[in-house]
Amino acid sequence: MTKRRAAAFSLVIALAASSGAVLSLRAQDPQPDRAKQIGGKFMCMCGCNQVLTQCNHVGCTTSASMLKELDGWVARGDSETVITSAFVQEFGTKVYAEPPKSGLSLVAWSLPSIYLLSGTLLVIFVIWRWRSRALAPATTAGGAPGISAQDLENARRRVAQETED
Amino acid sequence: MDVFGSFALLLAFLCAGYAFVGGIAAILTRHPLLIKSARQAGIATCGLIFLATGSLVYLFFSDSYWVSYVVAHSNRDLSTFYKVAALWSGQEGSLLFWSFLLAIYVFSVLLVYRNKNGELMPYVGVVLAGVQIFFLTLNNFVASPFKVLASPGANGALEIFTRADGNGLNPLLQYPEMVIHPPNLYSGYTGFTIPFAFALGALLARYPGEKWIHLTRKWTMIAWCFQTAGILLGAHWAYAVLGWGGYWGWDPVENASLLPWLTGTAFLHSVMMQEKRGMMKVWNVWLVFSTFLLCILGTLLTRSGVVSSVHAFAQSSIGNYFVGFLVLVLAVCFGAYVKNRDYLKSENQLDSLVSRESSFLFNNLILLVSCIAVLSGTLFPVFSEWFSGSRISVGAPFFNKVNIPIGLLLLFLTGVGPLLAWRKTSTESLKRNFGWPLIAGLLAGIVVFALGVREFFSLVCLMLCVFVTTTIGMEFFRGARVIRSRSGASLLASAVDLTMRNTRRYGGYIVHMGMVLIFVGLAGAAFNKDVQKDMQPGSTLQIGGYKLLLQGFETKAEKNYTSERMIVEVWRENKPLMMLYPERRFFQTNEQSGTMVAIYSTLREDLYVVYAGQNPETQAPVIHAFLNPLVKWIWLGGLVVVLGTLVTLLPNRRAVLVLAGAPERTPVQQPQALAPSVAHREGHD
Repeated sequence: MTKRRAAAFSLVIALAASSGAVLSLRAQDPQPDRAKQIGGKFMCMCGCNQVLTQCNHVGCTTSASMLKELDGWVARGDSETVITSAFVQEFGTKVYAEPPKSGLSLVAWSLPSIYLLSGTLLVIFVIWRWRSRALAPATTAGGAPGISAQDLENARRRVAQETED
Repeated sequence: MDVFGSFALLLAFLCAGYAFVGGIAAILTRHPLLIKSARQAGIATCGLIFLATGSLVYLFFSDSYWVSYVVAHSNRDLSTFYKVAALWSGQEGSLLFWSFLLAIYVFSVLLVYRNKNGELMPYVGVVLAGVQIFFLTLNNFVASPFKVLASPGANGALEIFTRADGNGLNPLLQYPEMVIHPPNLYSGYTGFTIPFAFALGALLARYPGEKWIHLTRKWTMIAWCFQTAGILLGAHWAYAVLGWGGYWGWDPVENASLLPWLTGTAFLHSVMMQEKRGMMKVWNVWLVFSTFLLCILGTLLTRSGVVSSVHAFAQSSIGNYFVGFLVLVLAVCFGAYVKNRDYLKSENQLDSLVSRESSFLFNNLILLVSCIAVLSGTLFPVFSEWFSGSRISVGAPFFNKVNIPIGLLLLFLTGVGPLLAWRKTSTESLKRNFGWPLIAGLLAGIVVFALGVREFFSLVCLMLCVFVTTTIGMEFFRGARVIRSRSGASLLASAVDLTMRNTRRYGGYIVHMGMVLIFVGLAGAAFNKDVQKDMQPGSTLQIGGYKLLLQGFETKAEKNYTSERMIVEVWRENKPLMMLYPERRFFQTNEQSGTMVAIYSTLREDLYVVYAGQNPETQAPVIHAFLNPLVKWIWLGGLVVVLGTLVTLLPNRRAVLVLAGAPERTPVQQPQALAPSVAHREGHD
């Protein structure tokens, strides 16, 4: 591909994929009010397993009363900590939409990072080990001449397989 | 017919038992007649399950209100369409439906391979029969859908009685997608039984080479495709019916469907390592085992009441059976692995860190981390209750925070992985393949930023989407250009020709493109907005560039429910645009209500209008309107993913694509000769 064509091609894709979609986002900067923002941190206690501000199933009186309480506290100027305590006192820890970043709940937050970190270390170790294996025969064989007929056939088969499709 | 159904199920259980025991005897004795009879017992099992399922469907259609399951999930006025969906709307019926779908797969496998793979198939047959026995045990003895209504008569003996009408179907399920979402999802769950059976069978049989991988690739693709479609249809159902303005709430049952999808996706990628390089044999076997185990775990979560969910079936003791089955399967897998692990010796070698192999390793890492993170988040409330005595909820905000960065990493690898060469990628190749995509991505980022988007993850997501789109587009362009130069066909026709010459590779790219579209849609979620307002006829509500004018209400009595709907005129830029009719339905039989959301959907955004009931204080009807940008891209992406998967299942039109001007391959005489022939394959799957 010539550079000019590739550049034009990339530009077309970039603009087509982003501009139309993005233009629609521009004017819609979300400005959630405080009640909505805080309400997003609690679950609706009706058993629907939805976030309080998202519970919208018909006839749910629980979310309506919880939101009313919340609106009252926000209007009074209560801090988020006070509101959280009030909800936890009323409904227990089930009311959290996300675990608090303290105590046992800290485990929930740290686990994904631990998985990612340990997994990455494992992959790096595996790569290192496999690299060592790949290098080992080359140094011990000291070059190509000593390759056996069987190895040659294996290599031929593999090349054929890899270039097949 | 209920007796016929029960009898068919019982016979199916016996046949599965024979297929299992007879299969083991056949493996031990190698007697051809035993092998044949075990296989035929397996086929008979499937046939009998088909009959039992047909019986239950007939009972629904004939309004047989002496059968408990029919009474609980149907009524006379229920439309024919939903009487089909009633089959899987409850615990008992859905378990039978599970057996039914599994039977379709088993029947197909036993038939397709009846004269092939003589060494392997008896083992596969035994594993499949084992799984069927478990589900048939549930169908027959734990959750039979053919139980009848009975009460003690005058003489003390139980007498069957018939109800005048049924309780009706749950209103949430009376939506067209509920007729296709569960079959798709269940087909995904049950479909993963086939690669599992082949993997375990091959391990037990010490079957040589990568044969089982070749045999199961298409089955795995089919199951994965169904699972993908099922998940997306479920998301669309949640979006269009539940009326909360979203499509994915990280509900435990939603998570349960995602878990095997993640490991299945990892398997579909890492399996190429085994095919091409003979690597990761142990990993692949365990990925298949894990995928199957996660399917069972997902079923356990849905049916046991271990975690609370709106989607879950009623709490029951059935979970204990699933736990037992999980433990048993895990023990068998582990035992088979320990006994025959030497057979899985891999040729694990890596020539370079910058290679396709490395990208697959990281791809698997990301998918597995996501899977474990979702699993641990889903089960955390249960564990927290065990350890601290109080249940701590883990809702959507947690999963979003954890999974958005992981998803973006995966999206990045989607663009990078396919363009890295096997063994080693040269610096030249890196420049050639990634130069322009990187520029395009950065350019898109600048454009998006300049247009005012400041949401970090959405910005990165859109940049990556452009990056991946460009890498895929360039791959198609390069290949199509070569074909066009030879055939003179148009670029589009050449691209189609190219795809048909290597369906697996280019179908894979189409799947990736579908995933990009889905990510574009997900990026829009950061910009959702909503307004809720009490309304009266004549009053208006403004959201974004839309003005909603409530014209009035109408009440309509339908056959199975009474509908109360708002008549809303939508205005945009001071011009009337269209009418929307958000609706509430009241179902008389079970005295439940349901919503029908009205959606005006464009590529740019969805105007999503819900009739949210009445304000309890003012008694005024309430409209809850949402403006959700880019949602349609998710559904389009889903269609593209399914299309791409179907393409990968097609046979190649021609086996080899000979590039113009490519040097003729010389016979390999010395190991050094390997380098050029491998190098010119850069970018192939």
